[in-house]
Amino acid sequence: MNSMYAIECNNLTHYYGKKLVYENLSFKVGEGKILGLLGKNGAGKSTTINIMNGFLHPTAGECLIYGENSQHLTPATKEKIGFLIEGHIQYAFMNVHQIEKFYSGCYSRWNSEPYWELLSKLQVTPTQKISRMSCGQRSQVALGLILAQDPQLLVLDDFSMGLDPGYRRLFIDYLREYAKANNKTVFVTSHIIQDMERLIDDVLIMDYNRILAQQPVEEFMEKFCQYEIVLENPDMEFPETDLAVNIEQINDKVSFYGYQDISAVKGFLSGQGIAIRSIEEKEMNLEDAFIGLTGMY
Amino acid sequence: MYRSIFYKEWLKIRWALALFLLLGLIVLGNIFLNVRYGVRFMDAHDYWYRIIIQGANYAASLKYIPLLAGLGLAIAQYFPEIVSQRIKLTFHLPIRENKVLLIQHGFGLVCLLAVFATYLLVFIIGSAVYFPPEIIHMMLTTILPWFLGGLAAYSLAALIMLEPLWLYRVLYAVIAYGFVTQFYIRVVPLAYTKVLWVFALMAVITVIVILFSGYRFRKGEMHHG
Repeated sequence: MNSMYAIECNNLTHYYGKKLVYENLSFKVGEGKILGLLGKNGAGKSTTINIMNGFLHPTAGECLIYGENSQHLTPATKEKIGFLIEGHIQYAFMNVHQIEKFYSGCYSRWNSEPYWELLSKLQVTPTQKISRMSCGQRSQVALGLILAQDPQLLVLDDFSMGLDPGYRRLFIDYLREYAKANNKTVFVTSHIIQDMERLIDDVLIMDYNRILAQQPVEEFMEKFCQYEIVLENPDMEFPETDLAVNIEQINDKVSFYGYQDISAVKGFLSGQGIAIRSIEEKEMNLEDAFIGLTGMY
Repeated sequence: MYRSIFYKEWLKIRWALALFLLLGLIVLGNIFLNVRYGVRFMDAHDYWYRIIIQGANYAASLKYIPLLAGLGLAIAQYFPEIVSQRIKLTFHLPIRENKVLLIQHGFGLVCLLAVFATYLLVFIIGSAVYFPPEIIHMMLTTILPWFLGGLAAYSLAALIMLEPLWLYRVLYAVIAYGFVTQFYIRVVPLAYTKVLWVFALMAVITVIVILFSGYRFRKGEMHHG
């Protein structure tokens, strides 16, 4: 079956026992897109990744990968997916040559060049087992193997874990260029959100039980705003309002997050009779916006 | 693809295979040293009498070696797969999940059979030096269930290790203990002759039980625990 979407999750609902993870979660990832899944710990990122990779049956709904139900992927479709397991898990009992030999026999499009290129920068001996490598070295082995597999869809679960800042930056830039040049689809999670801004086209932000935002990252960053309001009366408790998705108050300083323009916020303040000393729109990066949207706690 | 899977399994089990091959050969060597001592330095007549009339089993110290080999091989093969849930990598390979499980389990089984065949060959050759074919046949019938028990233990250990939930693991372990001990009930030589095929059937059935743990893993049972 052909699908214009690499990933299509429809009405996913999942419970762990009686605990609801989410209900009717739907999202699509078009071919050639790079989507970042963001969410706090426990928001359901791993649940989604596990369902997508066929390691968890959802309570209801389905997740299609290239039009096939992720619970019953054919070998041909699995060949098209490169999967980086959280923690860069690999067959650690092998050394770098053994693991390359193993995987090269599994994938018809195997191209070992990017793998050896990545590994040439590592100080590892040919017989050194992966289990005896540092976290950063292991991550590069796992990433190199995925690049050598040359998949159409890359599912990278917390790829930045254990990477040094410089290498993280290098990898992100390389990955974006590689994905765009070769029309690869990338589904990525990372707990380091500042990385994502350089990498992703679309953002999917999850909170407990629901999706908070799902749109192109540029559009999200353009529409989602933070206003810093300084109140006249520091003892005043700022009122709840539907105009804000989140309000953080420390004494007289209020951070007001929402999708409204500044005139709408000013209108709300005067309508409520809230005396302010100043209101100013603040520049945000993706991490600021994520915290603004999901709250600090 | 098959070659790659065989290669991965070989990397995991080669040292365990060598270890248990060596252990079995040491035990067999010890058995035949004892037999040699019994025949040459004690009263040979008396020694034969004990074996033929009294049903003494000169291979008794071999009894649990196939069981140990089966368990050891299963641990060597499946422990690396369950650490950090690496079995996910195996299931993600471009091959049907049940098929990859059966291929890797089949490979382990063939390797275990090769070790057992070596044990048996050495046992037959060693026995032929001291005993007539009738006694060798009797002894083979007596010790074969131990080997079948080793095969069953290998498959059942794989089932237990791949099972995602500890509660089920314990439950399976209790059942497996009851099942495997059937192969080691102390009986006089030749008492097994008529039920040998039952033991063989029991061992064969256990080969596919690993698929059940694989199914439960892919269903995500560990996340519900």
